[in-house]
Amino acid sequence: MKYFKLPDLGEGLQEAEIVEWHIKPGDPVETGQTLVSVETAKAIVDIPAPQDGIIAACFGKEGDLIHTGEPLLEFQGEEQEDSGTVVGKMETSQARSEREQFIIGSAYKAAPAVPLATPAIRALAKRLKVDINHITGTGNHHMITSDDVERAARLTEDLGEATPLRGVRRSMARNMAKAHAEVVKVTIQDDVDVEHWQQGEDITMRLVRAMGRACTQEPTLNAWYDNENDSLRLIEKVDLGIAVDTPDGLFVPVLRNITTRTQDDLRDGLTRIRADVKKRTIPPREMSGATITLSNYGTIAGRYGNPVVMPPMVAILGAGKIYPCVISHADGFASHRFMPLSLSFDHRVVTGGEAARFLRAVMDDLAE
Amino acid sequence: MQYTTEPYHPHQFIDAEGALTMSLPQALQEPELLQSLYRHMVLTRTFDQRVVALQRTGQMGTYASCLGQEAIGTGIGYALADTDVFVPYYRDQATQLARGVSLQKQMQYWGGDEWGNYFEGIAHEDFPNCVPIATQVTHAAGIASAIKIRNQKRCALVTCGEGATSRGDFYESINLAGVWQLPVVVVVNNNQWAISVSRQIQTGANTIAQKAVAAGIEGFQVDGNDVCAVFDAVQYATKKAHQGKGATLIEAVSYRLGDHTTADDATRYRSHEEVNEAWKKEPVKRLQSYLHQIDAWDESREQALISESKKSVEEAVQAYLKLPKQPVTDLFDYLYEELPPALLTQKNKALAKQTTAQRGE
Amino acid sequence: MGMHESPDNLKLSNDAPDNVTAHIVTMIEAINLALHRAMIADENVVVLGEDVANNGGVFRATIGLKDRFGCKRVMDTPLAETLIAGISVGMAAQNLRPVAEIQFMGFIYATLEHMVSHAARLRNRTRGRLHCPMVLRAPYGGGIHAPEHHSESTEALFAHIPGLRVVIPSSPTRAYGLLLSAIEDPDPVVFLEPKRIYRMVKQEIYDDGVGLPLDTCYTLRQGSDITLISWGALIHETLQAAATLEQQGISAEVIDVATISPLDTDTLVSSVEKTGHCVVIQEAARHCGVAAEIIASLNELAFNALKAPPARVAGYDIPMPYFRREDDYLPNVGDIVNAAKATLMTSGERS
Repeated sequence: MKYFKLPDLGEGLQEAEIVEWHIKPGDPVETGQTLVSVETAKAIVDIPAPQDGIIAACFGKEGDLIHTGEPLLEFQGEEQEDSGTVVGKMETSQARSEREQFIIGSAYKAAPAVPLATPAIRALAKRLKVDINHITGTGNHHMITSDDVERAARLTEDLGEATPLRGVRRSMARNMAKAHAEVVKVTIQDDVDVEHWQQGEDITMRLVRAMGRACTQEPTLNAWYDNENDSLRLIEKVDLGIAVDTPDGLFVPVLRNITTRTQDDLRDGLTRIRADVKKRTIPPREMSGATITLSNYGTIAGRYGNPVVMPPMVAILGAGKIYPCVISHADGFASHRFMPLSLSFDHRVVTGGEAARFLRAVMDDLAE
Repeated sequence: MQYTTEPYHPHQFIDAEGALTMSLPQALQEPELLQSLYRHMVLTRTFDQRVVALQRTGQMGTYASCLGQEAIGTGIGYALADTDVFVPYYRDQATQLARGVSLQKQMQYWGGDEWGNYFEGIAHEDFPNCVPIATQVTHAAGIASAIKIRNQKRCALVTCGEGATSRGDFYESINLAGVWQLPVVVVVNNNQWAISVSRQIQTGANTIAQKAVAAGIEGFQVDGNDVCAVFDAVQYATKKAHQGKGATLIEAVSYRLGDHTTADDATRYRSHEEVNEAWKKEPVKRLQSYLHQIDAWDESREQALISESKKSVEEAVQAYLKLPKQPVTDLFDYLYEELPPALLTQKNKALAKQTTAQRGE
Repeated sequence: MGMHESPDNLKLSNDAPDNVTAHIVTMIEAINLALHRAMIADENVVVLGEDVANNGGVFRATIGLKDRFGCKRVMDTPLAETLIAGISVGMAAQNLRPVAEIQFMGFIYATLEHMVSHAARLRNRTRGRLHCPMVLRAPYGGGIHAPEHHSESTEALFAHIPGLRVVIPSSPTRAYGLLLSAIEDPDPVVFLEPKRIYRMVKQEIYDDGVGLPLDTCYTLRQGSDITLISWGALIHETLQAAATLEQQGISAEVIDVATISPLDTDTLVSSVEKTGHCVVIQEAARHCGVAAEIIASLNELAFNALKAPPARVAGYDIPMPYFRREDDYLPNVGDIVNAAKATLMTSGERS
């Protein structure tokens, strides 16, 4: 405190006479140290210091009368204490002093993120064990109605639980839809005579070799198309994506560099890939960056197909099941084995001629 | 002229019979001014009685008649400077008329339309009628504070009834007027009745004027039925205020010859005899009498005035009766400077509701 | 420790708005800064009230003003709250901009007649011919162990009155900006200052004379699971509750209503449409408090996005107890956390 005032001396005594100062301006004092002796109507009283400090000034000389509450002395260097409250006790600040961050108004103007339904409808959905987040509302503003909930419940009852797509299957759904929306797909189909193939011929390896040859001959089908920038990137390396069917769904691991590696090397690579896919240990980077794809669905069934071109690639070859066919021969009739081939390409960047020549090259290689 | 004397007695120039009790000040010796004051009181009374009649026929809302108190309103209205600010209570028809608030506009207020408070010209800063008793005195103190802060040579003049002088706002305001030396003039229309509560049971003070002592301001009484006394007193007080010499409380002693409002029946609480006695002191007849004495009036001028007044009032009544209801959107558009979005929805609802109702007719 | 900085620390060398020098101030100091700034910017701004001039206000809100602007613009009135409000109406009608202080909200009731019957209606009943650009400021709310009548939270009384604005800051930054806007507003504003946080927090602000908008809520913390709505001192407890909830995996959005009336329902609805859950927190007594209006509005405008009924955390419907039991009355962080979790349990989003 700055000013020390004469404290209440008790017993209703309002004033006292200064008898003797024990300190003077400039003196340092300690709490409790006697500052001044004053005489009341009843006795002489010593007034102790209320705090440590240095005396700046003394008010009143010896012999002066001073009243309760009047300033006795001033301490040096203190701020005039200002409670500024008048009632109660107010908590004072800690030192925190950052610039406050806040948003004026709403953080967003987006549409509701929750499906719109009255609490009654939500309760109905709960009771019928229907997940309200999976229902499309047919009411005003896409509100979910009780009919919507009941329909969904009946569907589940009659047809069983609908499982939401997850993981690989979910990706496939999304990617296929996207491909279908973007690509201008044309498929040309043909058959190649593979009668001359030996027993136990590695069909996949033959197809791999054939595709490598064809890519060298018709490089436009080994490319990436960026439709937003209208640019085509012809790629020298041929990284062949090979569609693999698993219980979990469609995987497309990539066999790298099929035109420069040896056949043995490629075969080992393919075996390793198959094993990794089966064990589900194949890392994601082994499934990205394909420049063209092979879908050998013929191992299961089917002759001709319309395989989907997956952007940014521009071509995919589908190989169907080898089948016997009676052909006419120089020596009469004979039954030869044929492999059906379906080549889909993105006609935005690949011409029919380029595609046809590619197919021809594939067929030529397979016919060797 | 010295105003405040003790014991208090109301200052007066012309008595109830129309005789001069004290010589008139210079300005009031002009016959034209006296005739003008007379005409104004007659017009006010004609208007006042016509409005009461309208209310009785269902063409007007509850109305507070100023019958018998025309001298107070007229005296104030003529004495106020154009730049002074007038803060009425609700029996100030004469003053409002003198300051350019037309009869039609006044009927618009009593007829239940806020546009009746949209004053123009001299009255553009005046406050509208005030229903919460005595609160207007506080407003006048505020206006006078603004005038003082800006060092302007004008004043606020506020009226109230003697009942209002019982209320806190009255005391707080004259107290402030005293301590801040405000340029405010408070004219109390002591018409002896606050609805059914007579002056005797309104306050134990002998006069209303002496409440000024507690406030530290000048206070005195005038005969409220002597328009000359009112005029002169208000001139004195407003001039004093313009000169920065502080506030004045004027108690204008009068009598409420009509009911408190058209919703009141004074016969329930006061006697015919008392009212008849009061009629003998009424303001209009006494000035007429004086004007006759100084040869400044005659019967033909009286007839002309009566028919002129009736005509003016009738024109105003016809115009009032033809006034369309304000658009329902006006109920929203003047609440804030800019209508908040929440209210816009409500405004549109009100508009739609009105449109549907109209179509349904 | 000194509890306020002397006015010299807050004075600017050349009176110009300053968006370069940071002042680290408490709420009460921010209010003082705003008053100084407003009075420099517009000579029609005047300050009046009990103890505001010579004493600088019992909370020192008006310190330094009289020395700087003189006794014609900074006026100590007699002890008469009705008078303070009434003369403010008269002054405002004369195009002064009175900023009137009522020493505590406990004494504001004497002003109700003038605020309700006159200030709120002057523009409307004169069809815009006269208007009332006044600000009525009062410290409000409890939590400082004060004697009775010094801890009122009756903002709902004013919120109910068409024609009035009710504004309640919750930080030094918003106190500065909202008060400036309140003074500039051409219509009457009741500006209630939560006294419990007058000195609780210091923030960095710039005395740039820029007001913060009225009639809008403020989003203080973004979240996705539940919306916590409050105003005044309890914003602090609400933010603390949000932090506690975060640790328990619940993401809470905190909105400061700021202008109680007229209410910005758009911001509140946007938030509730996102989270589907809300709790409204008020210090005032529950019955007919502002939370009731907020929840009624949310029900009208966002019913179908709500996954659980909106909850209220409020004071009991009793007068603020004498201070020894004050803490039993005031809502605390735990109350808010529990209400939030209970709401999420009702919808089944948390177990």
